[in-house]
Amino acid sequence: MLSCGMRRSPTWIALAFALVSSGCTLGGGAPGTPPRGPRYFGSLRPPRGDVLRFINGGEPETIDPALVSGQPDGRLARALFEGLTTPDPRTLEPRPGQAARWETSADGLSWTFHLRAGLAWSDGAPLTARDFVWSWLRVLRPATAARNAGLLAAIAGAEDFNRGVTSDPARVGLDAPDDTTLVVRLARPVPYLLHLTSCPTLLPVPRRAVERWGAAWTLPGHIVSNGAFALDRWRQNDRFELVPNPRYRDRARVRLARVVAYSVDDLNTAANLYKAGRVDWNTSGYVPASFVPWLRGDADFRSAPFQAVYFYSLNVTRRPLDDVRVRRALNLAVDREAIARDLLKGTRAPWGRLTPQGYPGYPPPPPLGHDPARARALLAEAGYPGGRGFPRISILFSTSEDHRRIAEAVQAMWTRTLGIPVELRNMEWGSTLQATTALDYDVARRSWIGDYLDPGTFLDIMRGGDGNNRTGWSDPRYDRLLAEAAAERDPARRLALLGAAESLLLADGPVVPIYHYSTVELLKPWVRGVWSNALDLHPLEDVWIDHSWRPGARLAAERGPGPVAGRVAPPPGRRAVRAPWLRMPAAAPAPAPAPVTAFAPGEDRP
Amino acid sequence: MSVAAAPPALATGPPRSLWSDARRRLARNRAAVAAAWFLALVVLACCAAPWLPGLADPAAQDLRLGASPPAAAHPFGTDELGRDLLARVLVGGRISLLVGLVGTLVSLLVGVTWGAVAGYRGGRLDEWMMRTVDVLYALPTIFLVILLLVFFSRSLLMLFVALGLVQWLTMARIVRGQVLSLKRQTFVEAARALGATGSSVVFRHIVPNTLGPVIVYATLTVPAVVLQEAFLSFLGLGIQPPDASWGTLIADGARVMALFPWLVVFPGLALSLTLLAFNFLGDGLRDALDPQDRQQAR
Amino acid sequence: MTRFVLRRLLLFVPTLWVIATLTFFLLRLAPGGPFNAERDIPATARAALARQYGLDRPLAEQYLTFLAHAARLDFGPSYKFPARQVRTILLEGFRVSAELGGWALLVALLAGIPLGVIAALRQNTAADAAVMGVALAGVSIPNFVLGPLLVLAFSLGLYWLPPALWEGPSSRVLPVLTLAAAYVAYVARLTRAGMLEVLRQDFIRTARAKGLPERAVVLRHALRLGLLPVVSYLGPAAAAIIMGSLVVEQVFAVPGLGRYLVNGAFNRDYTLVMGVVLFYAAFLMAFNLIVDLAYAWLDPRVELD
Repeated sequence: MLSCGMRRSPTWIALAFALVSSGCTLGGGAPGTPPRGPRYFGSLRPPRGDVLRFINGGEPETIDPALVSGQPDGRLARALFEGLTTPDPRTLEPRPGQAARWETSADGLSWTFHLRAGLAWSDGAPLTARDFVWSWLRVLRPATAARNAGLLAAIAGAEDFNRGVTSDPARVGLDAPDDTTLVVRLARPVPYLLHLTSCPTLLPVPRRAVERWGAAWTLPGHIVSNGAFALDRWRQNDRFELVPNPRYRDRARVRLARVVAYSVDDLNTAANLYKAGRVDWNTSGYVPASFVPWLRGDADFRSAPFQAVYFYSLNVTRRPLDDVRVRRALNLAVDREAIARDLLKGTRAPWGRLTPQGYPGYPPPPPLGHDPARARALLAEAGYPGGRGFPRISILFSTSEDHRRIAEAVQAMWTRTLGIPVELRNMEWGSTLQATTALDYDVARRSWIGDYLDPGTFLDIMRGGDGNNRTGWSDPRYDRLLAEAAAERDPARRLALLGAAESLLLADGPVVPIYHYSTVELLKPWVRGVWSNALDLHPLEDVWIDHSWRPGARLAAERGPGPVAGRVAPPPGRRAVRAPWLRMPAAAPAPAPAPVTAFAPGEDRP
Repeated sequence: MSVAAAPPALATGPPRSLWSDARRRLARNRAAVAAAWFLALVVLACCAAPWLPGLADPAAQDLRLGASPPAAAHPFGTDELGRDLLARVLVGGRISLLVGLVGTLVSLLVGVTWGAVAGYRGGRLDEWMMRTVDVLYALPTIFLVILLLVFFSRSLLMLFVALGLVQWLTMARIVRGQVLSLKRQTFVEAARALGATGSSVVFRHIVPNTLGPVIVYATLTVPAVVLQEAFLSFLGLGIQPPDASWGTLIADGARVMALFPWLVVFPGLALSLTLLAFNFLGDGLRDALDPQDRQQAR
Repeated sequence: MTRFVLRRLLLFVPTLWVIATLTFFLLRLAPGGPFNAERDIPATARAALARQYGLDRPLAEQYLTFLAHAARLDFGPSYKFPARQVRTILLEGFRVSAELGGWALLVALLAGIPLGVIAALRQNTAADAAVMGVALAGVSIPNFVLGPLLVLAFSLGLYWLPPALWEGPSSRVLPVLTLAAAYVAYVARLTRAGMLEVLRQDFIRTARAKGLPERAVVLRHALRLGLLPVVSYLGPAAAAIIMGSLVVEQVFAVPGLGRYLVNGAFNRDYTLVMGVVLFYAAFLMAFNLIVDLAYAWLDPRVELD
C-alpha cells in the first residue's frame, strides 16, 4: 500500500495521487491531531444575499395542501399557505395564525375562531372565513380523493359527507356567520384541534384559482397563496423557488429574499451538495446513516427525537403468525439494544412500543423486551420446539441499505435464537406497498410518523379494518377502547384508555417495534432560526441568514429573529475556510456518549 | 572451384492454418497479451477467492470498526459494516464475471441460431426475421430490461435472461452477414450434394466457419454484459443483497463517497481495468483473426 | 430518394405501435398501481382517482383510448404529478437532455476527430498507440465510475464545480465530460479506421503525387470520406446521448428524460413512462433517417434502396 502522511497540496499530481492512495490523511497536519476550533463538514462559503438553499427530498406529488401526504410536499404547502394556527418552531404549541383568537364551548363540541382583520390572498383578494369552510368541504368531498380527510372526521356530519352518504354541505358542522368568524361543530371533543388546524389538510386554498385551473392550479402563475411565501418557479425534479408573499399578514417577519428547495431524493447527491457548499441545509433524512458517527462531533450536525417509530408488522392471517404465542416469541427474540448499539452505533434509540415518546400525561405500557429463553419456551408451546416444523417466513422491505442491514440482523437473531428459517425479500417501494396492502407478506418493515402530538395518531392505524393497519389484526376490545377514548372528555382518562389500548396491542403482538426515529440534519452555521422539535417542523418565516458569521465563532444559543435592522453589509475579506477534504480520525470514532434523554442522534427516513 | 549450391530451399514451414496464423499475430500484439494475462489473473483471483489464504471473510462484519481507510490489515479498507473491501471486490468479481459469461452465452445461442437460420433460408423468412431485429433494435432496450426486472422477480436467472436478450441482436446481424457470404461457397454445395439436410448444413458446416467474427464479438460482448449488469445493479435492479457484484459495490460506495471515497475508487478501478483488458483482448483478437482488417503500412 | 424516405416513414408507424402496445401491457401487468403510499387511501378516494384516470374501464377500452390520444401526442396528465401534463414534462426534460447530449456530442466530435486523424496519420507509432489506448480507456471506464471520480476530485476535493444539479455553466462541465468520455473514444476509433481506409486509396496517392501539401491531402480530400463511419455512427450515438444517459442524470441529478424514465418505472407512472418511451423511439427513428440521408449525401457511392 502506498505510504501515507502526505501534506495537502492543490496540484494535479497530488490530487491524482490522493485519489489512488485515498487512505491518506490530507490537510491540517499529521493524522490524529484534533482540529482547531469547531469542525464543519465541507465548504464554508456563505451565500451572497438572503437566499436559503435546502434539500427538500423527492419531487413532491403535489403541493395542494388538501392532497399532500409526504414531508417534502408538506413543507412547501406550509410555506405557501397558513392555517388558523401555526406551530411555534420551538415548542410546537399552536400560535395564532390566520385566526387571532378562539373560544370553545363548555362541552368542547363547538369552537369559534375569529380571523384577523384585513387578511388577503397574494393576488389581493380578501380572505374570509368562507374560504376555510369551502377548503375544508373540498377536503371532505369524495371527488377530491384527499388521503387525509380523516383528520376532519370529528366534525359533525363530516364522515357522512366524505363517504357520500349525504352530498349536502349544510349538513357538515362548519359555519361562517360573517367574514371573520368561523364556527366548527364537532361530533366528539378533540383536545388537539388547535394542532390539527395547522396541518396542511386544514389549510385554506384559493377557491377562484382551484375552480378556474383544476388540477393545474398549483403551477406558478396560477397559484395564489396566503402564507409567508409565494411560488416563483417550479422545475420538475429539480427545484422550487419561493419569494416572500407581499400580502402576508406579517410580512416584516420574513427575512429571506428567496428560498430554493431542491427536489433531490438521493442521499449521495444530498451529502455531496452540502459538502460542496451548494446547499445550506440538508433536512432530516437526507444524511446517510453511516455518516452520523463521523459527523456527530461537527458543529453543523443536529439531531433530536422525532415522532416516528420503525417497526415490523406481522401478517396475522398467515400461518404460523396467526398464533399469538409465535408472535410474542418473535418479539422477544429481537435484541433491540444490540441493533441500536452495534448496528446503528447508538445513533438511534431501541424502542419497544408503537407510540413514540413526548406525550405529556400519557401512561405508556411496559415496552417489549428481549428474553430469548422465554421466546424459545413460547415457540415450543406453540408447537415448534427448537424451530422444528416452522415454515419458512420472509421479511419484506423496500430497497434501502439501512432497511437491509436491520433485516439481516433480525433474520440472524430469529435464526440463531429460535432456529426458524427466515429469508429476506427486497422490493421497490411501490411493490412493497402493494404487497402489504394485499396482505401478501409474512413480516414487513413499516414505519409511522405522527401527524400531530397525540398518541391517537399512532394507535388509530391498528384499528380493525383501518386501511393503514395492513396486518389483518383486529380485536374488538381494542376498537372499543379507542372508541371510548374518542368519546372521553377528560384528557387524563382519555390518555389512560389509550394506554390500555396500547397494552393490549403490544401483548397481542402484531407489531415488532425496533427503533425510535430521530431527526438528523446538517445545517450550515450561517442559517439561523431552525430549531429541532418533535415533529420536525421548521416554519421558513422564522429562518434568516446570519451574514456576520465568521469561521471559528462559537455558535451562540439560537436566538429568535430580532427586528430587521436594515441591510447588513457583507463582512470584508470573507473567504471560504475549507475544511480538510479527507478527514479521517486516526482511530474509530469514540462510542456515543450516554444520551441525556432516552435518545441519541440518528437517521429518521421512513 | 564451384560448389554446387543446392537450390534454395522453399520456405516451407509447418502448414499455416487460420488459427495458427491468428495466434501468431495475437502473440505479437503486446497489449492484447498483457490484457489476456491480466484477465487470467483477475479471473483466477476471483474464482479462488474463498480459498485464498490470508483473505478476510467478505461477510464478516466488524461493527465497531466500521468504515476505515486502507491499511495493512485491510488493503482496500473496510465498508460501513466493517467488511473487508478487498475480499468483497474479489467475491463481487465472481458474480460480475459469471453474469457476463452466462449472458454472453445466452446471446450467443440465440443470436447465432437466429442469424444462421435467417441467412441460410433467405427470402421472406429472412426478411421477417431481420425486420424483427430492426424493430427490436429501435426499442429502447434498457427500458425494457428495467421494466422486465421491475415487473418480474429480480432473480439471478431473470437477470441473465434479460441481459442476454439485449445483446443477441448484433450477433444475429453479424452471423447472418457471414452466412450470406458463406452459403454460396463450394463446400456448402458439396455438403448438400452429399445429402446433408438444411439444419445440419447450417450448424455443422457453415456456423463453424463464422467462428472468427463470432469469437471476436463474443469477447466484446462479455464486457458489455458485465457493464450492463453493473449499470443495472447501480440503479438497484440487478444483483440483490446480500450478494454483491461490482455494480452494487460501486453504487454503495458512491453513496458514501463524501466521507469514504475508497469504497467507490477500488471497485471502480477493478471494473474499469477488467473491462479495459477485455476490450484490448477483443481488439487484438479482431486484428488477429480478420486479415482484411490488418492495417497495411503505406 | 423519395421512395426511400417514404418507406422509412412507413416503418415508423408499425414500430411505434408495437412499442406502445408492449409498454402499455407491461406496465398494466406490473404489480403496484400508481396510487400506493404508506397512508391508505379511503375507498371513495380510490374510486374517484380511478374514474378520473379512466382506470375503471375495461383494459381493451383503456388501450384504444390510449392509442387514440397518443396519435394526437396527448398523453394526458402524469399519474404521479397530476398538476402536470406529460407533454409538458417531456418537453422540459427533453430540453435538458438535449442540451446535455448536444454538448457531449460536440465535445466528442471536437476531441475525437482530431485524435483519430492524428492516430491514422501516425499509424503504428507511439502516438497511435497512445491515442488508441486512451480511446480504449474511455470506452472501458463506465460513466457511473467516471462520474463519481470526477465529483470526488473537482467537487468534493477542490470545491471548484458543483457535484450535481443543472444550474449555471459550471454545473454543465462534469456531466458533459462524463457523458462524452465514451463517445470521444468511439469517434476517435471510427475516425482512425475510416481515415486509414481512405488513405489507402488510389486517389490519395494521386493527390500526393501531384505535390499537394499533406495538410491539404488530409483535410480536403481524405477527411470527407474518412469521416463516413463517424457519420453513420452519429445516428445511434446521438440518439443515445441526447436521450440522456440514465446514469449520468442519476449521478448528477440532472432533470432530464432519463431520470423520468427510471423514476416513472419505479412509480408506475403509466402515462409518463409511455410518453417517454414513444418519444424516445420516434426520435431515434427520425434521427436515423436523417443520418442515413446525410450519409448518402456525403458518399456518392452509396445508393439508397
